[in-house]
Amino acid sequence: MSALVAVKQALSPALRSTFRQFLLNTNVKSSGCISVSPFIISKRYFAEKKVFQRTKPHCNIGTIGHVDHGKTTLTAAITKVLAEKDLAESKAYSDIDNAPEEKARGITINVAHIEYQTDNRHYGHTDCPGHADYIKNMITGTAQMDGAILVVAATDGAMPQTREHLLLAKQIGVNDIVVFINKVDAADAEMVELVEMEIRELMTEMGYDGDKVPIIKGSALCALEEKNPDIGQKAILELLDTVDKTIPTPVRELDKPFLLPVENVYSIQGRGTVVSGRLERGVLKKGAECEFVGYNKVLKSTVTGVEMFHQILEEAQAGDQLGALVRGVKRDDIKRGMVMCKPGSCKAIDQVEAQVYILSKEEGGRTKPFTSFFQLQMFSRTWDCAAVCIIPGKEMCMPGEDTSLQLKLFRPMVLEQGQRFTLRDGKITLGTGVVTKILPPLSEIERQELTEGKKGREKKEKKNKKTV
Amino acid sequence: MYFKHISTRFFHLSKNLCADKNALAALRKKTGYTFANCKKALEMHENDLTKAEKWLQEQAESLGWSKATKLEGRSASQGLVGVLVQRNIGALVEINCETDFVSRNENFREFVEKTSKACLNYVSDVKETEGNVTKIALESESLKNLKLEDGKMLSDHLALLIGKIGENTVLKRAICYKTADTIKLFGFTHPAPESIDEEGKVIMGRYGAIAAFNSNTEASDEVRVIYRKICQHIVGMNPEKIGDTEIDKPNEVKDDEKCLIYQDFILDSEMTIGEILKENNIKIIDFHRFECGEEVKVN
Ligand SMILES: Nc1nc2c(ncn2[C@@H]2O[C@H](COP(=O)(O)OP(=O)(O)OP(=O)(O)O)[C@@H](O)[C@H]2O)c(=O)[nH]1
Ligand SMILES: [Mg+2]
Repeated sequence: MSALVAVKQALSPALRSTFRQFLLNTNVKSSGCISVSPFIISKRYFAEKKVFQRTKPHCNIGTIGHVDHGKTTLTAAITKVLAEKDLAESKAYSDIDNAPEEKARGITINVAHIEYQTDNRHYGHTDCPGHADYIKNMITGTAQMDGAILVVAATDGAMPQTREHLLLAKQIGVNDIVVFINKVDAADAEMVELVEMEIRELMTEMGYDGDKVPIIKGSALCALEEKNPDIGQKAILELLDTVDKTIPTPVRELDKPFLLPVENVYSIQGRGTVVSGRLERGVLKKGAECEFVGYNKVLKSTVTGVEMFHQILEEAQAGDQLGALVRGVKRDDIKRGMVMCKPGSCKAIDQVEAQVYILSKEEGGRTKPFTSFFQLQMFSRTWDCAAVCIIPGKEMCMPGEDTSLQLKLFRPMVLEQGQRFTLRDGKITLGTGVVTKILPPLSEIERQELTEGKKGREKKEKKNKKTV
Repeated sequence: MYFKHISTRFFHLSKNLCADKNALAALRKKTGYTFANCKKALEMHENDLTKAEKWLQEQAESLGWSKATKLEGRSASQGLVGVLVQRNIGALVEINCETDFVSRNENFREFVEKTSKACLNYVSDVKETEGNVTKIALESESLKNLKLEDGKMLSDHLALLIGKIGENTVLKRAICYKTADTIKLFGFTHPAPESIDEEGKVIMGRYGAIAAFNSNTEASDEVRVIYRKICQHIVGMNPEKIGDTEIDKPNEVKDDEKCLIYQDFILDSEMTIGEILKENNIKIIDFHRFECGEEVKVN
């Protein structure tokens, strides 16, 4: 799913040759000689590295909330309580707090990834350090969250970051929140009650269902220090139980309608057209009806064969690198960057709103700011497309800033809410972002304006002024 | 039910000491101070809201101080740059906090406003020196000692703020301008939500600049637009100096150009700033730029 060009360039030639090879040897069916692709290697490696077996459904969550309200203490407490049930490796507070920096798309982020399970589910948990890293982390998606635990100290109530974290979570599409009112050991019952009221009010204001949002009260510190189990250990278990029940398990990629971003297209004499790529979602079966979407086109076709590494398969699954033989379309009809999907499941879009992090100079980004109407190249999945950006409410965007951007694409491409992308300006990676909203299609006039550039806009502006 | 037990007993024994719930909710809503502090205030003043609030404001100053010393070690590199220009006087200030979240907080922004106004007040009383432009730099310590209209010092307000937002906050630096009447001052900040500039209104952002212009013509709206764009350019392109065509040579590498007059205009790369100034018959006499969190150059 990575939109990084570097990845694209590094992998494509190798894969291309693999495919040429297998396409030439199509007669050799199951020869037993299976060439190992980098994907398979990484998959195996990944599986071996895992501490826990993935037999339970998986869910990604994280702790968010104001500085010092106890996010890291709570994370440590969760692992401690679950370790007693052999469901986690107990992590000390300092291990979580000193998580090594990591790089995502060239951006350095401080974030701790913890893993544990309840009786029902397996969890990936991120503890955001509670400042700028939080924003970067949410935008680049190093840890995509299916839900979040909002930590609020009963002694303080909702504080500035409580509000800001909620706002960003909402924008990015984190719709399920469980609230943990922490530090009840240092507060009395009435205070806790008032904090609860305050949080419900705030959540409603932020567009969540504040009256229904689950709220658990306890003390992470007590749980960690094995004191007062009623507000300690028991509260943690109650919290986890609530998370289990109220944050829905995300639909697995495998269970979604199939989607294959097209990497390459070949024409094989006597057989027809073959498209190759990595199946991002779902299951692709021989005989499936399909649709190619992108570059102003929607083409219907049928998959007449699925092949992987010299082998003909009945079906391929999400994650597989494959070639698909398709009926009735010519090689020149299809292009890298299109998406092959279940008919009707994808739409080409030419205007979106996005949250974007603009790389600083130190991170290899631009040295200069850019302004509205700046033209850039947008990369996502296997496509790239020229786009013009509008910076709402700001006159320019400086390197190192995060901003909301409106992006107008020169041609409609398959895009959905939550999709990650990279923006480039010539050889420089300008920034990375996530789609927060799909906007209505550009009108004919708006489309013309995209191409006419600055001089055209100025001329028009002058004309408008005269007529006024 | 150990916890419950304790708390009921606590309420029983200390009934008359206990803060009234409605009062607590009201006080918290009104002041924004943490629940723990609001409760203490009410307990001490038998639920008298007015007295409790007064005590809280006073207490916050000292509480703020104790918190400030505790928080002192924490790095404060976020924050805001504030710009305030009024006729021929102007102030450019930088105030730091720990996270960009707090920099968007209402209380923090109010404090930036107060500081900018205090600087402006200060410079308006300063006697003009000879020459066209008087420029005074204030360090953290001198900023703290500025007096506000309410008779308190800026440092008192700072302590109050720290008590409220719970983050280390630092009055970093300020530059105050005073110019001759023929010279026009203009300010700009980025990102600035305000699209229209009003003289006498504090604007703030992560970057800010003030520039002094000398124009033969009266500053019409059109000229003001150009002032604004040049200030935006200064914020965006970070020139080191204005540059002088007789002394400075343009840099061979365009991207490394540090002289304002030779830089390509950020809003129209076909023109340099020098050309824009000439075309509009404007002279730029001085400028100063702040970037929030930047290392301060000593010169
Ligand atoms: N009394 C009490 N103190 C707590 C509790 N949980 C955490 N603390 C204390 O609150 C302080 C902050 O806790 P952290 O877990 O570091 O808070 P955080 O939210 O991760 O803070 P940042 O990562 O800096 O935003 C520490 O001193 C903890 O010991 C609790 O349940 N009761
Ligand atoms: Mg923490």
